[in-house]
Amino acid sequence: MVDLARKNLLHDRLRFVITVSGVAFAVMLVFVQVGLFLGLLHNASITIEKLGADLWVTSHQVPNVDFSKVYPEVSLQRVRSIPGVERADNLIVAFMSTALPSGAQETMVVYALEDFGYWRMPWHVVSGDPSDLRRGRSFFLDESAVGRFGPFQVGDYREVLGTRLKIIGVTREARSFTTTPIAFMDYDLAQSLDPESLRGRTAYTLVKLAPGADVEAVRAEIRRRLPHNDVHTAAEWAGMSRRYWVESTGLGLNMVLTIFLGCLVGVVVVAQTLYTATMEHLKEFGTVKAIGGSNAMIYRILGQQATIAAVVGFALGGLLTLAIRPALASVDLKLIIPSSLAAFVFAGTIVMCLAASIVSFRKVAGIDPALVFRT
Amino acid sequence: MPALQAHDVYKRFREGREEVPVLNGISLDLERGEIVALEGPSGSGKTTLLSILGCILTPTAGRVVVDGHAVDARANGKLPAIRRTSLGFVFQQYNLFPALTALENVEYSLNVRGWGGRESRREAERVLAEVGLNDRRDFLPRDLSGGQKQRIAIARALAGNAPILLADEPTANLDSTTGGQVLDLFQSLARRENRALLVVTHDPKVRTIADRVLQIRDGRLAA
Repeated sequence: MVDLARKNLLHDRLRFVITVSGVAFAVMLVFVQVGLFLGLLHNASITIEKLGADLWVTSHQVPNVDFSKVYPEVSLQRVRSIPGVERADNLIVAFMSTALPSGAQETMVVYALEDFGYWRMPWHVVSGDPSDLRRGRSFFLDESAVGRFGPFQVGDYREVLGTRLKIIGVTREARSFTTTPIAFMDYDLAQSLDPESLRGRTAYTLVKLAPGADVEAVRAEIRRRLPHNDVHTAAEWAGMSRRYWVESTGLGLNMVLTIFLGCLVGVVVVAQTLYTATMEHLKEFGTVKAIGGSNAMIYRILGQQATIAAVVGFALGGLLTLAIRPALASVDLKLIIPSSLAAFVFAGTIVMCLAASIVSFRKVAGIDPALVFRT
Repeated sequence: MPALQAHDVYKRFREGREEVPVLNGISLDLERGEIVALEGPSGSGKTTLLSILGCILTPTAGRVVVDGHAVDARANGKLPAIRRTSLGFVFQQYNLFPALTALENVEYSLNVRGWGGRESRREAERVLAEVGLNDRRDFLPRDLSGGQKQRIAIARALAGNAPILLADEPTANLDSTTGGQVLDLFQSLARRENRALLVVTHDPKVRTIADRVLQIRDGRLAA
């Protein structure tokens, strides 16, 4: 069978390049915007996922992991005594300001635990030993802090809330949704730095269940014993933390608008080029009709051309996205493109291009085959 | 039974509030193996008659039978099928697909007619050989002369064994020598393959290959 659709499409190479470029641009726009968004959202819940706690006890109505509210740390004892709880520890998450060598003040998010080893925090250590955090006035700082704090290295000192602390380790990938760098320090040290807010208080209680323990039963018992706290599974809490940023900041709406605009650009470019191509090939389509072809046959040609443009445009857009990934990474922007997103964008691209070809369908339906007799 | 019959055919077009009569009671028969030339000045109704006989338009009144299929004002839905099975067209502007090679142009028309696979390729090669263009089978239309393009158009019309061939000014865009060659080819193939051929033309040379010459004026066939 002669593939008129493909041959016609490729015959005019410049037009084909323009069509595919339009699709590729739309695909890249969606991939980059959604990928960056997912990258940021990943930051919003990365500590929850890495900590590996089964349950998180929080103050009532805490919206996300960064915006903690403190409660009495003695609640921990009530949690530890619940059957089915293998281990429970307090966790402080607090914003603390640090003085830079330049004299400026910057903020970091401090994660403070008694036993970093058990909870496997920090999860990606570049240098230093987290067990040393118990030994004095020191902390680990994520390497992403270089952007805000300027260069630093193990052995440097920084003033945190007016107290001189030594940097004894460097971590990687530990940053919050707001891109504020994360620091790790001993639980008692954190309380001593801000006694007014933190003495005798904690932000969270992490719960690890014993093997075979019933999550819901333990959760119900914690709720009974700590009626003024909330209890979330790690998955729920990660979801809440991500959702907070999506819903409360307008980022979700912004994302929808970006995707819409990307699709609109794609539809307009593809519709315009396919329509122009259809207009230029009207006589050919008239010939197809004159020799016995039906409208459906011509619709198939247009549909196939739209699909080819979609597939090639998607592939090109995907490659361009992969190509700019290192550049984005160099400015600390993480692009996350899960296979489900790729599949969704692929299906969306096909639908977008087919929708764009509908404009041409209408034109083709009205072609008079007697056109072939006109000079 | 004639391959093509038209009996008392009328065609009127609406222009604004008025109806303009274009054909006024045309009757003609065309037998297999017969070549008929249809001549007439511009505006006489030649192309409209060709469109009706070619099942592209339906008559306002009258009866047309194409290869045994009745064509009337209610037969619109059946026309594409009749065109596929019973009719081959040759156009003044060739109307080849620019993106397809000579062979593909012929083969594609067979695909439209429902032929596929090796069968359509073999048939396309056969008719391309008949018109003497086997050595140009892989050329795009832009790389062929006017005469070669029209020979491909003839091959496309011949492919698939449609019993009736309709040609609209097939020599109008060709020089005198090439036009003569194309007509000779057309004549020999139509006769050999026992096809009915109606040629709408201004070109007096068509008379040399025609069995009959019909004159149309003001929508009527002259005696």
